[in-house]
Amino acid sequence: MILIEAENIHKTFAEGKGGQLLAIEDLSLQIRKNEFVSIVGPSGCGKSTFLLMVAGLERLSQGRLLIEGKPVNGPDHRRALVFQEYHLFPWKSVRGNVEFGPEMRGIARGERRKIGSHFIRLVGLEGFESRYPHELSGGMKQRVAIARALANDPTVLLMDEPFGALDALTRETLQVELLRIWQEAQCTVLFVTHSISEAVYLSDRVVMMSRRPGRIIADVRVDLPRPRTRGLLLSDEFRDYDRQLKKLVWNEFEGDVQ
Amino acid sequence: MRMDARKLMSPLGVLILWEIVARLNWVDPFFLPAPSAVWGELQKMVVSGEVFPHIGVSLARAVSGYLLAAVVGLALGLLIAWSTLVEQIFDPIIELIRPISTFALVPIMFVWFGIGDGSKVAIIFKACFFPIVINTIAGIKGVDAGLIRAARSLGAHGLQLWTKVLIPSALPMIVTGMRISTAMSMLAIVGVEMLASDTGIGFLVIDAQRVFATDRMFAGIVVISLMGFGLDRLARRIQGRMLSWHLETTLAGARG
Repeated sequence: MILIEAENIHKTFAEGKGGQLLAIEDLSLQIRKNEFVSIVGPSGCGKSTFLLMVAGLERLSQGRLLIEGKPVNGPDHRRALVFQEYHLFPWKSVRGNVEFGPEMRGIARGERRKIGSHFIRLVGLEGFESRYPHELSGGMKQRVAIARALANDPTVLLMDEPFGALDALTRETLQVELLRIWQEAQCTVLFVTHSISEAVYLSDRVVMMSRRPGRIIADVRVDLPRPRTRGLLLSDEFRDYDRQLKKLVWNEFEGDVQ
Repeated sequence: MRMDARKLMSPLGVLILWEIVARLNWVDPFFLPAPSAVWGELQKMVVSGEVFPHIGVSLARAVSGYLLAAVVGLALGLLIAWSTLVEQIFDPIIELIRPISTFALVPIMFVWFGIGDGSKVAIIFKACFFPIVINTIAGIKGVDAGLIRAARSLGAHGLQLWTKVLIPSALPMIVTGMRISTAMSMLAIVGVEMLASDTGIGFLVIDAQRVFATDRMFAGIVVISLMGFGLDRLARRIQGRMLSWHLETTLAGARG
């Protein structure tokens, strides 16, 4: 079943005096329910803009964007965002942050606490409920952000370079954790990243975008068995995909490398 | 304990030096009475109880003007941050009145509100209003766009966005404005009571000057200083209680 359907999307931004900047050019993409899709591409290729469009926080200039057959019309709690910079509410505790979504939807306190506890446990932050964001490490903050997003029981989890600010070790740990959480939470994930290896390791599909104006230049299905473990990173199949996609990038961005 | 002792060093040093200068008669005591003499005068004021009604009157005026400014300043600040239309209407008038010295408006206030408490509350209002309104606007406008995006994607909308995200996030700025204004209220009340009043702590000082009672003047100034200090302490306390999360993430918190 198709969950997200993007048809011939264009996005232009106003720039300077009457100038226009074409950020996304003719992007079409279909994403199935419960699929894990990564979008990779160079900085400024419009991949984050596309994510914000799906979130309903950025308008399209042209084209159609349907979720479950209905056009996107503003944000919706069933489409949850996770940012590289976390954007946790600094005046709220871990529990307060995780329960923010249910609180906005007017869910009663008792029920909210249940939801909060469930997702705090799911991301492995039991015992940290009353800590504040400034007391947490980057990896823990991102766990809170993921729990906060999932607490709204989203159909789509939109992740904008979520592990980009973390050290390599924390990053690997969270990748494994994310797969476990995804398996349990049962939702569609749209994952924006710079890292091809990360995209291959996590995804069912890797979509590659060109430099600005962003177009889709490759859409590769990753047929690696699940559940995926860290050991997979050392396997030949993984390396084949990794190599194949890196070659694509090098061909596309050859000019940049020199 | 050691930190408290260090904090006492400079005031104590000044007092000792001052006492020596006065005892050695380097300066005519009429111009500079010894701290011990000022202390004696202060004791007399307290023992006779005459200082307390003055303090009470000054505080009552300052607090009413301050509260009025806090309520109106906060409300208008939020409205201006919310609506460009409101901003375009009120911003010019705010920017024109703000730079006028509070005391330049005193004669007009006397004409409008008489020389009773009304004009004094109006003067305090003028002194306190601008830091609050301007910090409120800056606080709301300065809220991280990412935080707003996060909140909207989590389902916050309309009024919720204000009460649950914008205002809590702007609170450190808003509270700072309110704290600046507590100091402003003390500055203004003393000044206006010196100009036209027969009660209040400002009157006590100017009245002492009229009869050349310098030690009494100094004693009054000490009382003013203590009142200001006390109010600021109170404001800081409230700030600390409300914004523990903020203090711990900033330089102020890092330095203890």
